[in-house]
Amino acid sequence: MLACIPSATLQGVDGRPVSVEVHVSSGLPGFTVVGLPDAAVRESRDRVRAALLSSKLPWPARRVTVNLAPSGIRKSGAGLDLAIAVGLLVAAEALPAGCVEGTGFLGELGLDGSVRPVPGIVSLVAAISGGRVVVPAGAAAEARLVAGDRVRPASTVAGLVDSLRDRAPWPAPPPPAGGRPDTGVVPDLCDVRGQRVARRALEIAAAGGHHLLMVGPPGSGKTMLATRLAGILPPLTAAEALEVLRIHSAAGVAVADGAFPIRPPFRAPHHGATDVALVGGGSPWLRPGEVSLAHAGVLFLDELGEFPAMVLDALRQPLEEHVIRVRRARAGADLPARVLLVGAMNPCPCGDGALPGSCRCTDVMRQRYLRRLSAPLLDRFDLAIPLERPDVDELLGGPPGESSAAVAARVRAVRDVAAARGVRCSADIPLHALDGLIPLSPDAAALLERRVRAGALSARGLHRVRRVARTIADLDGVEGPVGTNEVAEALNLRTARSLLVPGARP
Amino acid sequence: MTSTGVLTGEERHGAALAALGSSPATLRRFLDGYTPVAAWEAIAAGRHRADPDRRYRHKATSDTLDAVAALCARTDIAVRVLGCPGYPGALAADHQAPAVLFVRGDVDVLEGRPRVALVGTRAATPYGLGVAAELGRDLASAGVVVVSGLARGIDAAAHAGVLGAEAGAPPVGVVGTSLDTPAQGARATLHAAVAARGALLSEVPPGGPSARWWFAVRNRVMAALAHVVVVVECHHRGGSLHTVDAAEQRGVTVAAVPGSVRSPASAGSNRLIADGAVLVRDAQDVLTAIELAIASDSGIAPPGRRGAHGRRVAGAAARPALSAVARRVRRAIDHDPATLESIVKRCGLAIGEVSLALEQLAEAGLAVGVLGWWSRPR
Repeated sequence: MLACIPSATLQGVDGRPVSVEVHVSSGLPGFTVVGLPDAAVRESRDRVRAALLSSKLPWPARRVTVNLAPSGIRKSGAGLDLAIAVGLLVAAEALPAGCVEGTGFLGELGLDGSVRPVPGIVSLVAAISGGRVVVPAGAAAEARLVAGDRVRPASTVAGLVDSLRDRAPWPAPPPPAGGRPDTGVVPDLCDVRGQRVARRALEIAAAGGHHLLMVGPPGSGKTMLATRLAGILPPLTAAEALEVLRIHSAAGVAVADGAFPIRPPFRAPHHGATDVALVGGGSPWLRPGEVSLAHAGVLFLDELGEFPAMVLDALRQPLEEHVIRVRRARAGADLPARVLLVGAMNPCPCGDGALPGSCRCTDVMRQRYLRRLSAPLLDRFDLAIPLERPDVDELLGGPPGESSAAVAARVRAVRDVAAARGVRCSADIPLHALDGLIPLSPDAAALLERRVRAGALSARGLHRVRRVARTIADLDGVEGPVGTNEVAEALNLRTARSLLVPGARP
Repeated sequence: MTSTGVLTGEERHGAALAALGSSPATLRRFLDGYTPVAAWEAIAAGRHRADPDRRYRHKATSDTLDAVAALCARTDIAVRVLGCPGYPGALAADHQAPAVLFVRGDVDVLEGRPRVALVGTRAATPYGLGVAAELGRDLASAGVVVVSGLARGIDAAAHAGVLGAEAGAPPVGVVGTSLDTPAQGARATLHAAVAARGALLSEVPPGGPSARWWFAVRNRVMAALAHVVVVVECHHRGGSLHTVDAAEQRGVTVAAVPGSVRSPASAGSNRLIADGAVLVRDAQDVLTAIELAIASDSGIAPPGRRGAHGRRVAGAAARPALSAVARRVRRAIDHDPATLESIVKRCGLAIGEVSLALEQLAEAGLAVGVLGWWSRPR
C-alpha cells in the first residue's frame, strides 16, 4: 500500500513543501528513508516506531520505504516525524486514507507518542497549501497566526488518530490571537539623566533609521542608552510583524505566546559571537543569525572593539542590502536583515582615552584595538558620539529625563513625514532623490562645501550628513530647505568617528 | 658640523666596546683605567678585570670592530668617548655619564650656553602641547639650548617650538634609540631638523637592539645636561618623573608648568609644584631659574632677555563679528577640553545652535575641536 502525506521542511526562514510517501510491501521487515534526509530525519525511524508502539498502534512487520519528495532538496530536523507516522498508519491500513485526505502534518514525536513543537512552524504551515494542517499543540498558537482555522492541534499520536477517525473531538484551539498590548517591561528613557547629546542622538537614530556608534569610557551609560532605543522606535507594521514572527519561529526563539510581535526586536549578541551566529547559517536548515533576529529592530553590538574583525566585516553586506544571502554548497537562503545597528565601545583599551591627556595606552595597544574596525564598517555609522560619565549632580539630584512615550511620539511623526515622501525613513532616501528631498539653504550648502574642500568629509560622508540633517530638520519641524543649524548638528554628531580612524591626529 | 666619516682609533674602539651590548655601568668599568684600545685588547684576550667571566670575549673580534666603524661611517654618526677629546664637557663631570656617546650633528653646541631640559608626557593635551611649543620657542630665542627626548607629545612640541624660532640657540635631542634606526613618520622630519640645526645624542650603539630600558636610562643624560629641568605635563606616575628623580640626585633645579587640577595629564606636574618645584608660567620664569642655577657655573653667559617678552597679541585685527549665540557658546568654552554635552549643558542652548556656533568659532580660530573635545585655543 502507498500513502502520500503533505508536510514541509525548513530552509533559512522559508518553508519548503515536502510530500512524504510511505510504501509498505511484503518482503524482509525493514525501514528505509530516501530523499536526502539528514541524520535527524533518518533517526525518525526509531522515534516513530517507539511512538506508535507506546500508543498501542500497529507497527508493520513488513518492508517499509519512505520517500521524501522532491528528493533534490535536503530535509532536516525532526519535523517530518508526524507525517511519516501517519503515512505509515495509512499505508499499513490501520487508518482509512479518507481520514487524512488533504491534511498536512508537522511535528516531532516523542518515544511516548507525544507530539512536540518544531522550530519554524509559522513558515512550515504557510508552505502547506490548502486544507487542514495538524501541528503540535504547543505550537498551535503560533501556527494560527498565519493559518487561522486550518490549524488542528495534536498533543499525542493516539489522540490524533481518534480525532482523525472522528471518534473524539479535536483539542480546543488556543484562544484567537490578536494584537493585544505587549506587557513586557521595556526600560524607559526617563531613567537617563543628563546626557542631552546622547538622548538627542538616540532620537535622531530612531527617527531617521541612522546607525549609531557610542564611544565612551566604562560607566558612561552606553548600554543603558542602547537598551532604551527599542522603546522609542515605532511599532512594527503588519508586514514587519509577520516577517519577525517567521524569523523568530525559524530560529526557535520563543514568540510571545500566540501574539504577533508589536515591539521591534532588540538583540544584543555577546562579543564572543562567531560570524555564523551573527549572519546565519551553520545548521542544515541555515538558521537565521542575530542580524536576522534583529530584523526590523535594533542590533546592539556592545564592546564593538572586542568582536573579531572577520565577524564585523561580515556585517557590511547585510547593512547595505538589508538581506543576507547565505549560500552553501547544497543549499542557500535569503534571510531578511534590515536592522538599526547600534555600536558601543571604549575609545581605547584602558577606556579613558577620549579625554585628551588621560589615556594610559601605548600607540601599539590603541592601534591593535582599533584595527578590528575597518574603515568601511565605521563608514556605516551616520552618528558617532563621544560619551562622558554623567555629572554626579545630575545623577543624584537632576530631574528625570523625558519619557520614552514622549520621544516615541516625535519619532513616529518624523516617520510619517518620511512615509509621505515615499521612503521608510531618511536613511533610506536614495542617492538620486537627495537633491529633491533634502534641499539645502545656501548657507548650509556653503558650510558643507567648506568641509568637503578641507578634506574633512568624504563624498559618502556628505550624503550621510545630508540624510541626518533631514531627520534633524523633520524633528525640529523646520519647513523648507535644510538650514545651517541642522547641518552643523549633523556634522557634530559624527565627530567620534575620527577618534577611531587609525592615524587620525589627536 | 663635526668631522664624521673617519673615526680615530680610540673612537673606533669606543664604539665597538659599546656595541658589545653591556649595560652603561659595565661599559664605564671597561674604560675605567683603560684607554679604549687597551680595553678592547684586554677583553679580546680575556683578561679585562671588568669581564671576569669572559662574557664579552667572543664578541670582541676584529669583525665587530670593522662592522661598527663602517656602520657609523655609513650613517653619518660621530663617536665621543669619555675622557677623550671631543667629549661634551657638560656631561663629563657627571657620575653616570655615558662612557661612549653617539652623535649626529654638532655636539659642541652644548658648550658655553645655558641648557634646559623640556620634558613631559606623550599623551599630552592641546594645552600642554601649546605651552611646550611656546616655551621652546621663547627659550631658544633667549639663547638657551633646549634639550628633550624627542618623544611624541611634549618633547616633540618643545622642539618644534625651538625650530620655529627665527634665530636662537640650537636644539639638542637625547634619544633612546640607536641613531641609525630611522624615526617614523612626522618625527623623522623633526629628527633630521634637530640634527641639522643642533645635535642628536644617543648612547645606544648603532645596529644594537632597541630596548625599553634605554628610554629610562637616557633620562639621566638629559638631567645631567640641563641646568633646569622643566616638566610641562606629566601624569601621576609618568616617565618624566624618572628625569625629575635623576635631576634631584644631581641637584639640578626642577620646574613645572601648572595645569588644571581636573586634568590627569597635569597630575604629576602639579604635584611637583606642591612638593616645591619652581612654578613656570612662561619662558621668563625659566630664565630666572637658570640665572640662579648658573650663578655658580662660570663660563656660561646668562641668557638674553629678548624674545621672552615678545608675546603676540593674537588676532586683534580682523576679528569677525560673532552672533549672540556664538558669543554665549564661546563663554562656555575654556582651556579644559569639553564635549558637546558639557557645552550644551553650560550654555543651555539647543544642540543645533551650539553645533553651528562651534563651527563658526572654529572657523574664526576662537575654538579648537579635537576629536569631539572643544577648548579655547592657547
